[in-house]
Amino acid sequence: MAVNPLVLISVTAIYVALMLYLGWLGYKKTKTSEDYLVAGREAHPVIIALSYGATFISTSAIVGFGGQAANLGMGLIWLTVLNIGLGILLAFVIFGKKTREIGQRLHAVTFPDLMGKIYKSQFMQVFTGVVIIVGMPLYTAAVLIGGAQFIRETIDISYSTSLIGFALIVAVYVIFGGLIAVMYTDAVQGAIMLVGMTILLVATYLLLGGVNAANSSLTAMAPLVPENLANAGMTGWTTMPVFGSSIWLTVITTLVLGVGIGVLAQPQLVVRFMTAKNNKSLNRAVLIGGPFILMMTGVAFTVGALTNVYFYQTLGKIAVQVAPGGNVDTIIPIFINMAMPDWFVVLFMVTLLAAAMSTLSSLFHTMGTALICDIWGRGRKCALSMRANQVGILIMIIASVIIAFLMPGSIIALATAMFMGLTASAFLPVFAVAVYAKKPDETAAKASLIVGTVVWFIYALFMNARYASVFGLCKALTGKVSLVGLPWSAVDPLVIALPLSAAIIVILQFYADRRNAEAAPSSPTI
Amino acid sequence: MLGINDPTILLAYGLSIGLTLVCVVYGLLNWNKGGD
Repeated sequence: MAVNPLVLISVTAIYVALMLYLGWLGYKKTKTSEDYLVAGREAHPVIIALSYGATFISTSAIVGFGGQAANLGMGLIWLTVLNIGLGILLAFVIFGKKTREIGQRLHAVTFPDLMGKIYKSQFMQVFTGVVIIVGMPLYTAAVLIGGAQFIRETIDISYSTSLIGFALIVAVYVIFGGLIAVMYTDAVQGAIMLVGMTILLVATYLLLGGVNAANSSLTAMAPLVPENLANAGMTGWTTMPVFGSSIWLTVITTLVLGVGIGVLAQPQLVVRFMTAKNNKSLNRAVLIGGPFILMMTGVAFTVGALTNVYFYQTLGKIAVQVAPGGNVDTIIPIFINMAMPDWFVVLFMVTLLAAAMSTLSSLFHTMGTALICDIWGRGRKCALSMRANQVGILIMIIASVIIAFLMPGSIIALATAMFMGLTASAFLPVFAVAVYAKKPDETAAKASLIVGTVVWFIYALFMNARYASVFGLCKALTGKVSLVGLPWSAVDPLVIALPLSAAIIVILQFYADRRNAEAAPSSPTI
Repeated sequence: MLGINDPTILLAYGLSIGLTLVCVVYGLLNWNKGGD
C-alpha cells in the first residue's frame, strides 16, 4: 500500500466537490434544452479544444493503451500520429466546420438527430441511436475499469469495491449537469491532465537516467521479449513488429487504425463541433488540440514502454511479468505506485479521475440522449425532458458497470478499439457523405449503415480471434475460437467492414446523383 | 538517435511532433478567420 487511503479519499472528495461546484455554475446557465444538449452553441475556443481533448482522452488511453505499449512497445506511437493528423487536423478543419454549419442550420442536437435530419429519415436516427446504445457501453466499461484498477492498486481495496465506488463518483457528477456544465469542467480537467502527464514524462526520464540512457536501455532489452510474443512477430520495445505478423496486425489494424480512424465518427465528439459559435472557434481550437493530444497519448505510450526498463532495473522482470496474471491493464497503476513519490500518486489519481470523468460524462450524455431522444422520443419530446435524459443516463451507467464486471483482464484498449472500429465502420461513410454531398441519398445511407454494422459484428463475433474470445459466441456455437486462421483472425473487423460500407455509399450515392441530374431538366422551374 | 534505432519508430515520433507544429501554425495563421 503506497498511499494513506485517508489522504487519497480526502483529495478525491475535495476534487469531486470542486467539479460539482463548477458543474453547478454551468448548470445555472443551462436555461433551455439547447443549452443542455449543445451548450447553447456559444462555447469559447479554449473550452472547445480542452473539452474535446479531455473527452477524447480517458483512462483508456493512459492506463489501457499505456499498458499495451508496455507489452508491445513504442510502435503504438503511430496512433499518436493518427490522433493528431486525423483526430485533430482532419476532424476540425475538414469535418468540424461543415458539421457545425449543417448542425446549426438544421437545429440538430445529437449525432443521431443530425443523421436523421440530413437524410430526412427516422430510420437513420433510430438505427444510429441503437448502434450507440449497443456499442458504447463497451467503451464506458473500459474507462471505468481503467480508473478502478488504479484505485485498487493505490489503496489496496478489492476490485469490486473500487469499480462500484468509481462508478458512483462518476454517476453523481454526470447526472447533475448537461453539456454546458460538462464543457466547463472538461476544460479544467483537461488542464489538470496536461499537468499530470507532463510531470509523468519528465519524472520517468529523470528516474531512468535521461532520454538517451532510458531509450538505449529499452533498446538493449530486445532479447528479453517473451517467447510467445517473439514467435508472433515482436522484435523489441523500440522496434516495430515483423511486417504482416499477428502482433503487427494487432498493433496496426486494431490499436492504431481502429482508434485512429474511429475517432472521426465518434458521436460524443461530433456534438462538440455543433457547440462552436463560428468557424473561428474551430480554427483556434486546433492550436490547443494538437499539443494536448501529443502530451496525452505520446506520453502514455512512451512511458508505458519505458516501464519495462524500471521494472527490469528494480525487480529483474519485464512489465508484463510484474502484472498479476499478465493483465496489462495493471502495469501503469503498479508503475506509478512503485516508482513515484506519494504526492504524485495522489496527483495522478486526480489526473485519471479528470480523464475518466470528462470522457464518461460525454459518453453517458450521448447514450442517455440516444436512448431517450433518438430511440424512445424520436425527436418529439427530447426538448422537454431533461429529467428523462437523466433517467436514461442512469440506466446506461448501471449497464456499463455490469459489463465492466463481466469483462476479462487486459481488456481496456481492446474494448476501446472495438467501439471505435464499430463507429468507423457504421458511421464514418454516412457522416462523410452527409457533410459533403450536395443531396445525400437516404437509400445509399441506409444500405451503408446496415452493411457496416452487420459486417463488423459478424467479423468481431466469428472471425477476429481476440474479439471473438471476449464474446464467446463463436466458441459456444462451433467449439472454435475463430472460424478463420491467421492472418485473417488477427485482422481487425474495421479493415473489412469500413471499405465495404464506404464502397456501398459511394456507388449508390453516385447513381442517385446521376438520377437527380437526369430528372432535373424535365422538372418545371419555379 | 536518442537511443532508438528503428527508423519507423523515429519517423512516428517525428510525424507526431511535426503534425503538432502544423496544428499550432494553422491555429495561429487562422486565428482571426472564420468569424460570424
